[in-house]
Amino acid sequence: MAYGATGQPQPSHEDLPESVFKKSYNFPPFFSPQPTSLTRQAQLKKWSEFIQRYCRHYRLFQLSIIDTLQSPLFYNARLKKGLSLKDAKAVIEYMASKDGDERAEWRGPEKAVAWIWWRKPEEWATLIVNWVEETGQKGTVLTLYELVQGETTEKQEFYGLDTEVLQKSLNTLVKKGKAQVFGTEDQQGVKFF
Amino acid sequence: MSTRRGVGLGAFTNRNATAQSYAAHGSNLKSANAASLQAQLEVFQSLLHNFALEHAATIKSNPTFRAEFARMCNAIGVDPLAGSNIKGKKADSLWAKVLGHDVNDFYFSVAVRVVELCQATRAENGGLIGLKECCESVAKGKAIGGGLQVSEDDIERAVKSLEPLGSGFVILTIANKRFIRSVPKEFNTDQSTVLEVLQLLGSVTVSLLQVNLGWERARAETAVQDLLADSLVWVDYQCPEPEYWSPQGLLDESD
Repeated sequence: MAYGATGQPQPSHEDLPESVFKKSYNFPPFFSPQPTSLTRQAQLKKWSEFIQRYCRHYRLFQLSIIDTLQSPLFYNARLKKGLSLKDAKAVIEYMASKDGDERAEWRGPEKAVAWIWWRKPEEWATLIVNWVEETGQKGTVLTLYELVQGETTEKQEFYGLDTEVLQKSLNTLVKKGKAQVFGTEDQQGVKFF
Repeated sequence: MSTRRGVGLGAFTNRNATAQSYAAHGSNLKSANAASLQAQLEVFQSLLHNFALEHAATIKSNPTFRAEFARMCNAIGVDPLAGSNIKGKKADSLWAKVLGHDVNDFYFSVAVRVVELCQATRAENGGLIGLKECCESVAKGKAIGGGLQVSEDDIERAVKSLEPLGSGFVILTIANKRFIRSVPKEFNTDQSTVLEVLQLLGSVTVSLLQVNLGWERARAETAVQDLLADSLVWVDYQCPEPEYWSPQGLLDESD
């Protein structure tokens, strides 16, 4: 696998799993912005669902648009068709909107990189809280490293979660008074209530 | 004068008596015929009942068998689905009486799934769904439990059961393929022709229509633009000339 600017692996154009790359991926008009607004809405929705499936499958939490243009996500090597930079940005823009259920979030005003919320921070937070409760660790101090890299969470979905995403998800709990984060930059801990 | 009056009265009396006789006779005939017909229907239902009881499991589990059983009922003018789900009444359909509510509920469950699917996908296909694609999608749906198989015939029956609701759902044929049309807007001749070509080739261009159908460019352009505006085709601009594609077959993603 090649690596993009964000240090993330770029999947090969071969062996594309059918659970991710469904029929629309091999439907040529999928890669052209449809002029009819109703069709365009259906197209954007399909793109959003596809991108979420893709990122979930490859455990990607953010995308650099330019680096991804030639990846299987935006370019179908078999059809030799892909989204242009402008069209790819339009799809992410849709995903970031209320219409697109805010399944993406731009990381900066230049709109070059975006978080892809195949699971939103609050959704991750719910998984973490459930695990903490199930393991009777409320009121216990846990390191952030322990949460997403420790042996005890190896089988949990949030294992390997991006550090920034973890921060965002814990922040949603802090705002509700359900958790407290403390410590310095590289040695942070969290306590759940 | 007195003689004429007597004749009149007499004639009147005679006519009345005659009419009464005819009425009585007609009534007798009707009663006799009705009784005979009722007896025949009762015999038929009894035989149908016994047949259905003997093969109930097969009717429930085998789409082909179910279809043939329904055809047999229809041939005799009995609508297996009629009379069902009427609030406040016990007018069970023949299906329900003979097989319990399982098969009846089956068809209404299928109808609900069809309606949901048509609504969910209208933006992507303009309200035109292949019966085959619809069948595959409904079979994958979670609404139909117990591992029941769903056939295209079942879908068609379910769609027809929606007619009393004025649903606007119709079954139509394009290039020997059956479709559900859930938008109350008819195709003109040119649109129908293009849709037929699409079923055969998958996609068309304006040039292809000009060459193969002998149409002028403006006519071909109008036909595809109309279909495009109604979401009945999608367009691919990344080729020498725009290609117009049928969106049938994208349904696997709506679940």
